[in-house]
Amino acid sequence: MLEIKSARKIFFRGQADEKIALDGLSLSLKTGDFGVVIGSNGAGKSSMLNAISGALILDTGKVQINETDVTGMPVYKRAAKLARVFQDPMKGTAASMTVAENMLLADLRSQKRRLRQGLNATRLAAYKERLELLGLGLENRLDTRVELLSGGQRQSLSLIMAVGGEPELLLLDEHTAALDPRTADIVMKATIRAVEALKLTTLMVTHNMQHAVDYGNRIIMLDAGKVRLEITGEEKEQTTVADLIGHFAVKSDRMLLAS
Amino acid sequence: MAMIQDIFSSFVALVPVTLAQSLILAFVVLGIMIPFRMLSFPDLTSEGAFPLGGCVAGVLLAAGQSPLTAIAAALIAGFAAGCCTAYIHLRFRIHTLLAGILMMTMLYSINLRIMGRSNLSVFGMPSLFQWSPFGQPGFPSTKIVIAGALGLLVLILLYLFFKTERGTGIRAVGANPDMAEAQGINVWTATIGGVGLASAFSALSGSLMVQSQGFADVNMGLGILINGLAALMIGEAITGKQTVLRQLAAPFVGAVVYYQLVSLCLAAGMPPPDLKLATGMFVLLMLALPSLKRGRAPGAAREVMRE
Repeated sequence: MLEIKSARKIFFRGQADEKIALDGLSLSLKTGDFGVVIGSNGAGKSSMLNAISGALILDTGKVQINETDVTGMPVYKRAAKLARVFQDPMKGTAASMTVAENMLLADLRSQKRRLRQGLNATRLAAYKERLELLGLGLENRLDTRVELLSGGQRQSLSLIMAVGGEPELLLLDEHTAALDPRTADIVMKATIRAVEALKLTTLMVTHNMQHAVDYGNRIIMLDAGKVRLEITGEEKEQTTVADLIGHFAVKSDRMLLAS
Repeated sequence: MAMIQDIFSSFVALVPVTLAQSLILAFVVLGIMIPFRMLSFPDLTSEGAFPLGGCVAGVLLAAGQSPLTAIAAALIAGFAAGCCTAYIHLRFRIHTLLAGILMMTMLYSINLRIMGRSNLSVFGMPSLFQWSPFGQPGFPSTKIVIAGALGLLVLILLYLFFKTERGTGIRAVGANPDMAEAQGINVWTATIGGVGLASAFSALSGSLMVQSQGFADVNMGLGILINGLAALMIGEAITGKQTVLRQLAAPFVGAVVYYQLVSLCLAAGMPPPDLKLATGMFVLLMLALPSLKRGRAPGAAREVMRE
């Protein structure tokens, strides 16, 4: 479904602060897979997501989504295939527009925008129904501008916007990291409900080891721009938080020795 | 008392002329508002697009073309100018304001080239304001009716457009370009088209102004931008900007009120040379007001603009 082949990206090539973000990274996800991506800061998690979404153009390597080569495709064209929720609630929504208008924007992600009325009664009713699932009361605030919502409400809205329209691939970029624990929990539960109900192929980046253990059918650990470790199937079921932290420790020991 | 009466009567006598003028200039204010508010693309092209529209229309009218041809040509020229500004910004990552300054500077030469001299009389040539079945041709009442009707038509069309699927997409580009792109909107097309449309309105205003005053002048755009901004600020203070309709109505309301205020100031004896200083101070005050209200704390920048 998702295929990344030997992706390579170097920032500031030839300068003193040259940084290898992706170092021949390869990864493949099958349809319906829920991959959880972990790794320390600078391991290449965000670069990988950006390479998939198109925000980052690779130096070499290939990205395929459902057999389509999207390596050189601009962000707005890839949007027809994938949806993304960012860590920052501000990034995923248009603040000065209303809840309903934001829903409309996401609704038309994979369609051609025409010169016909945007928000009609049918759409408004559908949006109301989708927002009700969250249980945050957003369904009664369709005409509220998004900037008036709390961070948690905005992030929940981003999530509903992303899963609506059933994208072929859902990218979650530490999407609960900026929220308080209670709201983070609500958003995480809503995520899991939606992913399971719609059987979405998902890639979630997280720093929360408990989430990595609890959710998904595959753990992908990145280090220095490569996949260091993949845990799937049976093994994934039995993995504990302690095991995962152990892997991090091995890595930092090696780093100590190398230095 | 007699003095106040004097001021008042000379102001009232000028109301129709000023109203006609302000309804024509409302299109420039619209051309400033659309990039600034709808696309977060503060744009200075209008200072060049307004005389561009005037020069193009002036040359065509002087050559005996019909007013409608002249207006259509002005619209196309303005659209092209706006597209260039947006392209310069997007392609070379030059700040929108600098891109606008470059464009309006270059347009000055282009405008001179188009006319071949610095001013051109089209007095006595057919104009849009002579076709009126209302009142006498060329009188303020005719201009008010025609410019007002045109303004209303544009307002309604724009309102309907910004409510469509595509129009909502363009507004999203102004609200959050990264998010818009992630939702499948081509930011380049939307920005170039939007700024182009805005400059087309500025040029339309120029072409109407030439037909109204009977001559085109390469310097006719001087200071139009700051007047337009002042009008926009007043309009927004009156109509608000919470909804698309309010935001779209602001330029028209603002233009009408602003030019009457200017007329009142002049009637009250303000020396015309001081006008730009007063306008500039007014715009400064309106922009500074939120920061003054908040006290000395420097707070977050009020306007989020593109780099």
